[in-house]
Amino acid sequence: MYVWIWRRLPGPTAVKWLQALGLFLAVVALLFFVVFPWLEPYLPFDRMSTD
Amino acid sequence: MSGAQTPVAPPPPAPGRRGRDEVRTVVRGVGQLLITLGVVVLLFVVYEVYVTDLFGSQKQAAATEAINQVWASAETTTTDTVAVTDPNQLVTDPRQRTPRYETLSGEGFAKLYIPAFGADYRFTVVEGTNSDDLYIGPGHYAETQMPGQQGNFAVAGHRVSKGSPFNDLGLLASCDAVVAETQDDWFVYRVLPMQEEGAGWDGTQHAHCAGVGVQTGQYAGVYGREITVPTDYAQVLPVPHVDSTAVPPDAQRVITLTTCHPQFSDRERMIIHGVLTQSYAKAPGFLPPELGEG
Repeated sequence: MYVWIWRRLPGPTAVKWLQALGLFLAVVALLFFVVFPWLEPYLPFDRMSTD
Repeated sequence: MSGAQTPVAPPPPAPGRRGRDEVRTVVRGVGQLLITLGVVVLLFVVYEVYVTDLFGSQKQAAATEAINQVWASAETTTTDTVAVTDPNQLVTDPRQRTPRYETLSGEGFAKLYIPAFGADYRFTVVEGTNSDDLYIGPGHYAETQMPGQQGNFAVAGHRVSKGSPFNDLGLLASCDAVVAETQDDWFVYRVLPMQEEGAGWDGTQHAHCAGVGVQTGQYAGVYGREITVPTDYAQVLPVPHVDSTAVPPDAQRVITLTTCHPQFSDRERMIIHGVLTQSYAKAPGFLPPELGEG
């Protein structure tokens, strides 16, 4: 999967690293702002359900 | 991640080589997937423990700003600018204080101070206990009484994440002050004796313990800290443990703080009970001496 992505990134190695970092940060932002807030209520960590 | 570069031409594929390559691809794919899932789980921990704290503290700051403005505009326009230095002059009888303010769901109406947690421990308490309310800060169970009133002023707060207002409730000791500030009043509650202290309780052992004692009568069994199940709603009723929403005429003025227990879990609830021992009218420049107990 990652090999496939790496091969498709254009430019020399340094540029590829920058793009990979950008992709990683984009995924982290997606997780922090969209996926985790949605997922959180379903997980048994800090639900303060008060009947 | 690039393949090894060989100066010679690759050998012709051996019989069965093609099949092994596919197996290798599949195994590598599964391995990468598992590593990815592990990283996602780690990121979720970071999110839950740190990122929601950032979001929560922003919401808390906004709520505090809002309540400060409400209080500033509601301040009685008396020309009493003489600084009051003697707290005794401001001591009030809670029976004569009725709330002048209204509460709106999700908006702040009081501030909570716990000097034992440091002089900077201050949270704006919002009305309501749904997940949006508790993201802002500690939330008042809307059907329970207001600060200073007879009955139970009950507040829920997150143990971990979303600002973690009640993370340290387990460190509270009996007689520690829990101070609620409203538009016009300061109400000083003190944590009740713990269960293990009940038998040998001596209310004169410390000046802070004046008015704090082992509970009897309808309040028997109400202690400073209790661990219970999430469905134990009677903890926040006017007389804790008594399954009635009516406030008896001889009811005490109780505070109840609830949070998740154990830490990082919501399997149980930690409950803190305290009683009102002192109240003051607010005055410019006046802070209750109890706030300096840290």
